[in-house]
Amino acid sequence: MAKVAREMVERAGVNVDQLLELLVKNAAAELNTYYYYTILRANLIGLDGETIKEIAEVARIEDRNHFEALVPRIYELGGKLPEDMVEFHNLSACRPAKLPANPRDIRAMLTVLVEAERCAVRGYTQICNMTAGKDHRTYDLALSILHEEVEHESWFSEFLGEGPSGHFMRRGETSPFVGKFLK
Amino acid sequence: MRRFTEEELLYYDGRSGRPAYMAFAGKVYDVTGSFLWRGGRHQALHTAGADLTEAIKAAPHGPELLAKFPVVGVLQGKEKPCEK
Ligand code: HEM
Ligand SMILES: [Fe+2]
Ligand SMILES: [Fe+2]
Repeated sequence: MAKVAREMVERAGVNVDQLLELLVKNAAAELNTYYYYTILRANLIGLDGETIKEIAEVARIEDRNHFEALVPRIYELGGKLPEDMVEFHNLSACRPAKLPANPRDIRAMLTVLVEAERCAVRGYTQICNMTAGKDHRTYDLALSILHEEVEHESWFSEFLGEGPSGHFMRRGETSPFVGKFLK
Repeated sequence: MRRFTEEELLYYDGRSGRPAYMAFAGKVYDVTGSFLWRGGRHQALHTAGADLTEAIKAAPHGPELLAKFPVVGVLQGKEKPCEK
């Protein structure tokens, strides 16, 4: 644990235990979506599926990156991950995504996906709100993740016909915002 | 429709197998079936068995997410006039 780092956050008036619980819950949500995207890689097939597969792969890697970037902050603040995967799954901040009954129904698959991204947008907005001006490092991390979650939401909402995202696909490396926490 | 006092509502905290109920704007909702209210706790910040009308103002979502949960009663003293 980074003792003084935690003390600074506490002295700024943040309830660090609550914050830690939220960080762990959101880390669990990331691994859950990473898993869902992995299943999608085997199910986004055919003319409709292949269209989305590549962008889903980018979101898959970025959600895994979010998990990777959250873990050190959890331990710095004196928190820890649960001892087993079942417990971790069960405390996820977002309802774990599940492959629709008909895995050829691309729309249904995308709807599950966009809901997971929307839940993430809400989760990191909350963490930003709790840490803004108080816990600078967690804020920077949560804001960086938030940038990428908003992009994920907009990509898939465009595929669902809700309107243009205004984005191109990523060029170059994944995680343009969170990347600095992974080096 | 059952009328809950705030004290009665306290029992439905979702712990130890008890149902998870919570009140919003005078209505009592049953969120026992929600993954996001497991054990009566929501997002590390809220617990069932209470009136969360004010709490939602600081939440990253509005009350529309409550719509799919069954209403099991009204909160005494907080119900809308037509529900008295
Ligand atoms: C700061 C406090 C809160 C936070 C951080 C929070 C966060 C969240 C998040 C991230 C979701 C998932 C939304 C999605 O899937 O897009 C959610 C769902 C939900 N929240 Fe909250 N929330 C808070 C307060 C509240 C309050 C006060 C209530 C009740 C009055 C409430 C009721 C619900 C309900 C009913 C759902 C849907 C659950 C489901 O679909 O199973 N939340 N909340
Ligand atoms: Fe993510
Ligand atoms: Fe995402």
